[in-house]
Amino acid sequence: MANRSDASDQITCTIDGQEVTVPRGTTILDAAEQMGIGIVHYCYHPALSAPAMCRMCLVHMEGAPKLVPACVSPVADGAVIQTDAPLAEEARTGVLEFYLVNHPLDCPVCDAAGECKLQDYVYQEGRKHGRSVEPKRVLGQDDFGADVLYDGDRCIMCTRCVRYMREIAEDDRLCVVQRGNRSVIDTFFGEGLDGSPFASNIIDICPVGALLSKDFLHKARAWDLDRTPSICPNCSQGCNITLDTRDNLVQRLKPRHNPEVNSYWMCDYGRYRYEWINRGTAPYPYGMPAPAGLEADEGDGSALPPAALPDRATISELRLESPMMRRDGVPVPVGWQEAILGLLERLRAVSGGIQVIGSPHHGNEDNGLLKRVQEVVGGDDAVYRAARAAAEVVLPGFQKLARRRDLAANTRGLDALGFRRVGDDSAAGGLAPPASALIVLGDPLADLPAKAMADAELVVYMGAVISPTLEKADFLLPLTSFAEQEGTFTNFEGRVQRFWPALNPPPMARPAWQVLGVILAGLQDGVAPASAGDAFLRLAELYDPFSGLSYPVLGTLGSMLNEPVRLRAGEEG
Amino acid sequence: MGIGVKKVRRPEEGTSYVRAALKGMALTFRHLVNTETVTHQYPDEKPSIAPRWRGTHRMEVHADGRPKCVACGLCPTICPANCIRLVPGEDDQGNRYPIVYEIDEYRCIFCGMCQEVCPVEAIHVGQDYEAAEFTRERFVYDLDRLMAQDHPVTALWDPSDPLSE
Repeated sequence: MANRSDASDQITCTIDGQEVTVPRGTTILDAAEQMGIGIVHYCYHPALSAPAMCRMCLVHMEGAPKLVPACVSPVADGAVIQTDAPLAEEARTGVLEFYLVNHPLDCPVCDAAGECKLQDYVYQEGRKHGRSVEPKRVLGQDDFGADVLYDGDRCIMCTRCVRYMREIAEDDRLCVVQRGNRSVIDTFFGEGLDGSPFASNIIDICPVGALLSKDFLHKARAWDLDRTPSICPNCSQGCNITLDTRDNLVQRLKPRHNPEVNSYWMCDYGRYRYEWINRGTAPYPYGMPAPAGLEADEGDGSALPPAALPDRATISELRLESPMMRRDGVPVPVGWQEAILGLLERLRAVSGGIQVIGSPHHGNEDNGLLKRVQEVVGGDDAVYRAARAAAEVVLPGFQKLARRRDLAANTRGLDALGFRRVGDDSAAGGLAPPASALIVLGDPLADLPAKAMADAELVVYMGAVISPTLEKADFLLPLTSFAEQEGTFTNFEGRVQRFWPALNPPPMARPAWQVLGVILAGLQDGVAPASAGDAFLRLAELYDPFSGLSYPVLGTLGSMLNEPVRLRAGEEG
Repeated sequence: MGIGVKKVRRPEEGTSYVRAALKGMALTFRHLVNTETVTHQYPDEKPSIAPRWRGTHRMEVHADGRPKCVACGLCPTICPANCIRLVPGEDDQGNRYPIVYEIDEYRCIFCGMCQEVCPVEAIHVGQDYEAAEFTRERFVYDLDRLMAQDHPVTALWDPSDPLSE
């Protein structure tokens, strides 16, 4: 951003009667933001260039001949700026009236209603009644390809989408055609956004309802959604997202700002793979042929929701609802207490150590305590399987962000905990029929034949869904998925980031760290962790890469593995 | 005869039943010929109700039979009793419309806010009070039933006097 000069070169100005000291070159808008004064704007976006064309951020500067646009004007030393000067307010009201000359008043059927900047600003500062008597211009809708639908009537020509495609996606597919009130955003000669792997970000940055997601179209109203901060589970980049949920179902994923990981963006690959979260499964079927979408999107990364997954009705029947224990060869539903006590008895009797299979779709706490159980009982074979794409898909304008090759959120975390990766790129194979005792977390082992478990001394499966292979397991323990519990993922570069529960789990399902914590407490006569944060602290004690970390240290932006405790006060004031 | 019981001797006129009986019959005969009735012959004659009387809902319909509702979601949002269920969708002409629109008249408190908030004047509370059912499930009116209702709708305000002055 504008913050390029060195720190010693500070200047002081007055905004709305308050003095503020900022580096030379800071724009008025940024300086005001620091003081908590929001200056309204449409065309300005912190990650994009500012053309100063929406005319909403006009402010009064003493001595200037006319109002100045706050988004591009750097503050001068000693400048006295008033954002709420009568002249500025009058200008904003006037600009808003002009926007409403052609903007349809179809908020009731517009998906952006409730999160629309035009709606907000008109409500704050607009005229009560329009004076325009001319009929509104009608342009209709245009399918931009990929997931984007363009409604020309609602467009206010801020050109954020055009600039995003040019500057961040570096894939110049949009432009403004025509001039004046006839101008529209368009694609080139029928070549739409198809195949542009980061195109859907323009839906997020559109301040009004002109760019719509076809996937989200008419699905839910903005004010009905519950927004839970989370981490994108579809690759190891670990983009910060919100899970927007309604009726206990994820309706869409939205990127959340994190300057170190994903800025304001996320890829289409991750954005549209959320159906599996509602089912509690993995984004791809473990041990089955790679879903069609997985290969198709190596070129462009834009393939829409995976086609090869079973539909919701069949898979919801597979959700494990209650702890099961085998009695006389038949799995019988039991209570948690009975299941845990029975399991403890069997674990204490294990002779040759245990093998554990971790899950890259579960958090660090879950896998770490699983590893710990193995260390206590004995055995050293800790493995996991994860799907892998053929290539990365990098966002050219923000190269820290890419759809990484590992298509699971926590592969790095598992590596740090000492798990070994096995299997091929579609998360299949690599597992021999177990000979001794086995504890499986999350991985339904669907590619192993059903009788593979016959020789095992003890088979414990913990997970959300069940597969036919596991009918012979001795214990089946229902778990929550990552969206139903608190925890942390470690992304590809070793950044540990927190996620929060967004969905209600089935009544009997428990987080893995809780189940494993109770088992550990039973094995060692210790105390079980009371919360996910508590479980994470144990991790920090037990495993060097996590030492020094805790939930308060991670905060909302995450922290790198094995870093000393950083004093955030010094950085952020 | 008990101790201390006092016998009161009343005059014959005060204790005779004949006078009281005649008095009652006179009242009966008077009502027989009186034209001023207060009894409503209810199922045969319906009483008139006030224009703002709020009863079971009615969904307005376009000329081609489609519901006027655009599934904006404002009525389930404003509903204080949380009795409206709405699932929006897109019809074959690209218009937003309600795939599911249900009102649970059993939960409804007939406040009329759904009618007041509706931007397209589709949902109305109506001048209808005969909402008895044999099962609770039947109180959940679906879209077809709301569209089939044909009673007059409630006038929440007088168009000629919107501020009730």
